[in-house]
Amino acid sequence: MSKIAKIPLILLGIALGFFVVTFTVYIFNLDMKATSLIAPLLEKWYDHLEHKQYL
Amino acid sequence: MKTVEKVVNPVKRAGEQSPGKIFTDRLKVRSRREWRGVKDTFYDYTRWLYLMSVLGRFIIVPRNIKGFFRYRWMMSYLFVPHGMDKFTIGLRDEALRIAHTSFNFVIADVTKAIGNCFRGDRRVGNDKAYSDKCVITDENSMVTFMMGFDTDKVHTILREVPTMFASNIFHQFNVMHYLDVAQLNGIPGDVCPMPEAEAGISIDDDFCVLGSCAVQNNTTCDGSLMGNGIIAKRLEREYGIPTFQLATPLRHKEPDVMDYAAEEIKKAIAFVEEHTGEKWDWDVYFAAAKRVNYATKCRIAQMEINSTPYPQFFGAAFSLYNDTNYMGNSGRMPEFVNVDKKLLELAERGYKAKRMYAKEYRHRAIVWGVQPQYVIDMLYWLVQCWGVVPLTDMLSVINTDMIAEEDTPENREQAYRDMAMLNMEMIMRNHTHGGYKVLLDDLWELCEKMNADMVMMWEHMSCKALTGMHGMFEEQARERGIHIMWVSHDLCDPRVFTRQAIREQVNKYMRTVMREEPLDPSLEDLPDSEAW
Repeated sequence: MSKIAKIPLILLGIALGFFVVTFTVYIFNLDMKATSLIAPLLEKWYDHLEHKQYL
Repeated sequence: MKTVEKVVNPVKRAGEQSPGKIFTDRLKVRSRREWRGVKDTFYDYTRWLYLMSVLGRFIIVPRNIKGFFRYRWMMSYLFVPHGMDKFTIGLRDEALRIAHTSFNFVIADVTKAIGNCFRGDRRVGNDKAYSDKCVITDENSMVTFMMGFDTDKVHTILREVPTMFASNIFHQFNVMHYLDVAQLNGIPGDVCPMPEAEAGISIDDDFCVLGSCAVQNNTTCDGSLMGNGIIAKRLEREYGIPTFQLATPLRHKEPDVMDYAAEEIKKAIAFVEEHTGEKWDWDVYFAAAKRVNYATKCRIAQMEINSTPYPQFFGAAFSLYNDTNYMGNSGRMPEFVNVDKKLLELAERGYKAKRMYAKEYRHRAIVWGVQPQYVIDMLYWLVQCWGVVPLTDMLSVINTDMIAEEDTPENREQAYRDMAMLNMEMIMRNHTHGGYKVLLDDLWELCEKMNADMVMMWEHMSCKALTGMHGMFEEQARERGIHIMWVSHDLCDPRVFTRQAIREQVNKYMRTVMREEPLDPSLEDLPDSEAW
């Protein structure tokens, strides 16, 4: 198969790979599960920031 | 008591029948996303990809990363996909598309607003030339007085919307820190937590600082007036940003307030001209006025569909889209016209196909009072769990009058009165202030017009404007044979009433008073009180 003929197959493979990975993340809610692990660390970060607090 | 005809959905919902099963108390999130059948799951997945692209495009800008680590409230925007899942529980077909179309647009608009804030912010982007053309307006302020300024030349920054209002929708605990800051500095805890949290953000120095000037409004309550004072003090004395107080009459149904209200609008416009150096443009104004009228026509059409046995566009997405369009946009941005059109097309298609949000509609309810921010998605739960259709909420019942849209000498004078009218009839103010007629009579008229047999009364326990009328609501509902279901909450503070404590009030009412069983028992008790 010529290199040019392979291009659509490669593109299809990339699209399929993108779909499989992103759909898995989507359906198993992996994005939000990962965020729930990061959030406590961020809270600590915000807690340590100095603010000019006054009324 | 008044009864309405039960409507049964002849079509079985595709995919998941009991979405309550995917809720879990582990990691604060649902165990997986809802399976909606192949077609609707794929559609929901593509919208999730779109949201990810919106968030991704936002965060790749270096100044936005800097802002993300500077401002505590920014953390809420990590939870946007989870927020979208809350707004689409159990939805299929047109209902799912309506929720995504409206709310995805709101999210994109808020993202743009945050980007604009960071661009001009003295601590983050520090684009001084941009900042000098920005006008800060408060969260509850109508932006009608900006309708005649070219959006490419003068930028309206609703600073409190992304900072407090929207961020609290995505993360229920996000304002607790600011409430604590306010109360540690001596602000009483019995005022509305929304303006109190805004005051707390200002005390904590966690607002973006930008703009050539600011306009505040005497919006709706004692808490709001108190918060405005605290915020204006810091803006003017520390940051040198002059702040105009747009004093809007509260008795907005009295015609004799109109001259004064129009005069206030003129003064606000003159103030903006003075500080930005830009001039009011009547061509820009009347183009915006046409868009305001189009939005009003679409909203009326949506309400008419909701008056039929097959309502289509309601719940949190309806309310938040109206908030954004009516108050934050006020006809200034042409993009809203296409969204209005698309939403109406979807609703009409759904109506023709007799689409339903749940397997049964048992009651038709008007939702009155001010809704809690941290469980704003509850109206979807109400229809899915108990078959009670929330036909509209109080905050979406806004102006239905057309304003002058042709540029004539008479209409230029009328325009000030129209802007004043829109401002006085602003979301929340138009029913919480203005007397007995707008709070009670309007409700019963709406029940009649939309054929409702039930009122779900949000009782925001810190809202003094509404609590005084509790007895009158009870008495008049009884006279009319309308079921009235009181649901207490504390707007932004989930420590006072948790989400489940709020839902439990409905559960008890439906079981004990209405003697009914839930349509979907999996939703009756959800372990999401600790979730975002």
